[in-house]
Amino acid sequence: MTLQSPRGFRRIGTLVVIPAVSALALTGCGGGDDGGSGGGSADGFTFAFENASGGQENPWVKLVEKYTEETGVDVETNALPPDSFGLTMRTQLQGGNAPDLMMFSPGSGQENSAIPLAEAGYLEPLGDTSAGLVPAGSEALFGIDGTVYAQPTSLIPVGITWNSGAAAEAGVDAPTDFDSLIDSCGTLADEGKSAFVIAGAVPPNPGLMTMAISATRVYAETPDWNEQRAAGDVTFADSQGWKDTLQTVVDLTEAGCFQQGAAGGGFDAITQGITQGTSLGAFLPGSSANELMNATPGLELEIEAFPPAAGGEPYMLASSNYALSINAKADDGAKQAAQAFLDWMAEPDNAKTFTDIQGGVPITGPGDDLNPVYAPVAELLEAGDYAPLPNQGWPNPGVYDALASGVQGLVGGQGDVQSVLESVDQAWDQ
Amino acid sequence: MTATMGTPQDTGPLVRGEVPVAGGERAARPRRYRPLISYGRWWWALPAILMVLVIHYLATAGGALYAFTDWTGIGDFDLVGLDNFRRIFEDPTMIGALENTLFLAFGFLVLTNVVGLALALALNRTLKTRYLLRVLFFTPVVLSPLAVSYVWKFIFDFRGPLNTVIGWVGLEPRVWLADPDLALWCVLVVMAWQTTGMVMVIYLAGLATVSPEVEEAAALDGAGTWQRFRYVTVPSIRPSIAIASTLMLIQGLRVFDQVMALTGGGPAGATETLATQVYKETFALSNFGFGAALALLLTLIMLVFSVLQQAATRDRN
Repeated sequence: MTLQSPRGFRRIGTLVVIPAVSALALTGCGGGDDGGSGGGSADGFTFAFENASGGQENPWVKLVEKYTEETGVDVETNALPPDSFGLTMRTQLQGGNAPDLMMFSPGSGQENSAIPLAEAGYLEPLGDTSAGLVPAGSEALFGIDGTVYAQPTSLIPVGITWNSGAAAEAGVDAPTDFDSLIDSCGTLADEGKSAFVIAGAVPPNPGLMTMAISATRVYAETPDWNEQRAAGDVTFADSQGWKDTLQTVVDLTEAGCFQQGAAGGGFDAITQGITQGTSLGAFLPGSSANELMNATPGLELEIEAFPPAAGGEPYMLASSNYALSINAKADDGAKQAAQAFLDWMAEPDNAKTFTDIQGGVPITGPGDDLNPVYAPVAELLEAGDYAPLPNQGWPNPGVYDALASGVQGLVGGQGDVQSVLESVDQAWDQ
Repeated sequence: MTATMGTPQDTGPLVRGEVPVAGGERAARPRRYRPLISYGRWWWALPAILMVLVIHYLATAGGALYAFTDWTGIGDFDLVGLDNFRRIFEDPTMIGALENTLFLAFGFLVLTNVVGLALALALNRTLKTRYLLRVLFFTPVVLSPLAVSYVWKFIFDFRGPLNTVIGWVGLEPRVWLADPDLALWCVLVVMAWQTTGMVMVIYLAGLATVSPEVEEAAALDGAGTWQRFRYVTVPSIRPSIAIASTLMLIQGLRVFDQVMALTGGGPAGATETLATQVYKETFALSNFGFGAALALLLTLIMLVFSVLQQAATRDRN
């Protein structure tokens, strides 16, 4: 018996100690976070953003370097891949270890949209300077009930990225009306070229093309179409504008306007097609033109608006595709430092510096020093004849996914216009 | 024979506590079997069992609860009962994903097992180069599914080698991965190409247990090749069939990497599977509740088919 007791205690001890140690270890792994910020201090802050430019220098990094040089404020940057950025930020915000300043998309229609996060209380209300940058009519994309949670950064026009050099060689003018565009598609196909190159295998690219076309078919006549849809006054399936938009995609496909094998093409097809001049146009954010020209000496690109249907007026898309928000749970010092950075960025000189690096248009509007690639659309930008990216005003990411996936099918000869629009309505109503 | 009868030196029963030791009366008393030498107690495993229960099963069960909510990944959520499951069966995209999953799972099961068994039979004994060929057929198994899929994506590309080859015989190039009629078959081919080597190895292990003497005896009795395969080989490798078919069915049901790398679920959802939909709904579209319902459904399907598979292939002898 004298031996039994210690053995018994050892058994009990083993049973108690191992789970306890395990629990402590797990607690240690979890960290003692109190829901605060990701390590910013009164002297600086942390800043996370998408790094879509691959190996090229990121405009945010360059801007931050300039800010640190001017002010001496320490900014810890964290560039994350775009495909996981939204999920990472959501996870970190809920885990209490999100950065002090984050890059999001305006509105609610994308996976990294700011408004759902603001509604959940994760974002800090911003100051008057930020509010002053919000474009008129786009308030709902950057705030809730008059309170701004996301500061717009720059205008990114979206239309056709047009290889003017290759077009001149092929003897084709930039498209100004749809019928002549369709006519030129056949001529170019005979020469082994195409009017457009698309990444048909990657739904967001046909999706962006569709939105660019919708500028003239839907939003030129009805700028508040999204609001009408939200109110239940209209639907995609009953909208003549959206029917025309998708029919335009079908017409482009049938006329051979896309490169051979377009339905299976990836983004590499766009890069090769545009830079080698085998295709004259691509549907990309305007800022991509700068990146492509920087990477390909001698390449001449410009941004064109997609031509309207017969009798229609020119119109295009341009909006702040990125917005900056402050973590509501950041330390007060870090919040102030991040807001000071936003205020600094809102100054016209600094806004211009950013757009020069990024290749966009200052959020305050185009000036005399507009980037030359936007020369063909300068009048539209100056006249305000543009709408924000439609999906920014859609209620959830599923709507754009349904549209993009449906259009991918249309390009591949799958499905029909009506069924695609009905699926988009269904996604909206989820 | 002596070994089975026992010898004076055979201490096995003694060690196992099956025979009386000195002081026969006490030892002969009926008592619960307990080995004199053992290597552990059941409760030694208790911490590990607790950890598995808490970290694995409890966490999974917790995740499954979200299947009955409308959680978007942030903020609050409401309980919605079976609405998510109703939505799954009312949504043509989800039904299509379910059909694709079953097509890929059973196609994968059949293709890998038929080709794997054929390779194992061919490379089992006589062929001189069998060791080299076994290595060659097994090599794809050790590669990353994503890397293999990207290589095949290049092969299937419109300007890729496959279209070049079929062009030599006068056939028109195809958009293999963007054609809704072909894309799913392309995914199946890539899955089977990479995994058949694994099935071959499982069957080779099974065939190693088939006695050549028994096969020779069957041949002497007049059994043909098919009869020897049907009545000698197949019964002998039944455990291998059970393992290979179960593993392949489960792997086929949860296919993800190849679909994401080759088609991303496209064109227009033509190659979506339940696993890709779980990822898309949960992480791309922020429908965590709906994604959890899909994941729960996928788990149940895998469970049911695995049980059925085990029942169908178990050794009844």
